[in-house]
Amino acid sequence: MDLTFWFGCNMTRHGEIVRLTMRLLEAVGISAEASGGPATCCGSPKEPSAAINAGMAARTVAAFNSRATPQVATWCPSCHMNMQDFMAPATPTNFETLHITEVLHAKRDLLRPLLTHAVPARVLLHQHIGFDGRVPVNRMVADLLALIPGMTVLEQKPLPGHMCFGFQSIPGALEKAQRETLAQMAAVQADTLCTIFHSCHREGVNLERNNRVQVKNWVHLLAEAAGWDHHDDYKAWRNGGAVPETAQQAAGDAVFEKLVAPELAKAPLA
Amino acid sequence: MNRPGAALTERILAESARLASACTACGECVKACPMPAWLPLPPATPEATAQGLRAVLLGQEPNAEGLAFVAACTRSGECSAACPEKLDVAFMLRLATMRVRGAVGEAPRVPVKDDKGWVSRVKAFARMTMTEQEQREWT
Repeated sequence: MDLTFWFGCNMTRHGEIVRLTMRLLEAVGISAEASGGPATCCGSPKEPSAAINAGMAARTVAAFNSRATPQVATWCPSCHMNMQDFMAPATPTNFETLHITEVLHAKRDLLRPLLTHAVPARVLLHQHIGFDGRVPVNRMVADLLALIPGMTVLEQKPLPGHMCFGFQSIPGALEKAQRETLAQMAAVQADTLCTIFHSCHREGVNLERNNRVQVKNWVHLLAEAAGWDHHDDYKAWRNGGAVPETAQQAAGDAVFEKLVAPELAKAPLA
Repeated sequence: MNRPGAALTERILAESARLASACTACGECVKACPMPAWLPLPPATPEATAQGLRAVLLGQEPNAEGLAFVAACTRSGECSAACPEKLDVAFMLRLATMRVRGAVGEAPRVPVKDDKGWVSRVKAFARMTMTEQEQREWT
């Protein structure tokens, strides 16, 4: 196995993005296994306690060491920074950490022939400045999107922070970021907003409710160009789509009512 | 404290002390930060704000402007590029954020949210969006 795709905790909302990313890796000849959820947490959700944070982080590094893939590719910028800044310095690793965009960007010549379906859209690439200083994700995702026939890629003036998650603790900041994003889309006549990270996708999908825009992740757009069938269930649910009974039962009825339904019912900010 | 916890605490304290001793509190990091345009920070000179950041890293009582600066960090990283001493100010702010939230046993200096439903919610979404086989293999 060449690589572990470490998709993090909060990406469990977007199973189809994990699935499609694995398919992209396979398509460019990389054998990969996926890993995520609380069992391989980076520890940052428990940051107020070094003991709990470090314990979770150490277990995750041990799990990846035992997998023995030479590379671990992150999705989440928080996981990536935690691995480099705290986890690997504390627990020796037997793998190299890199970001999934680096992996796919390096293989873009192999991706190009797969992307045969035109995607006629004017896409604004949603960007932040934070993580880009460490891994140039903004440029690499723009390069990947440029492989898609029929698409016009327009780059957003990058927002502060490393992803929209950071705005949540600052009153009014997420709404302001979303209004600025919509204004930029209008100014360049973009019809589609392309998110890079899960947190921006999670917070952005219900912009579709009040605005004539579509919100898609860069992996969705690559899959569309490859002609791969997929469905963004989370987006549908955040925009008022009925959650199938089977999905509610899978969550557990009580957990669904208490922890999932309130998130899905959150009103759009813009 | 467990051994990984002790090691992390030691790293946070050691790096805090190393970076605080190298910081001159010149305020260039504060001037470069994009966040003051996004929220009202207490009026202060950049130098005073940077002094507050240094105080957090030294385990001292920070001034209000320094504490607000730490709490407003969204990890943009513009501060590091602006530092004339070439310090990784973004990492300093990360350490400071951990410290003000009580990570190393100090009394928290900012409100700490604890989402007790986080693990259950993440697992519930996995069951909703992934097949049983994917859950077994991936999570």
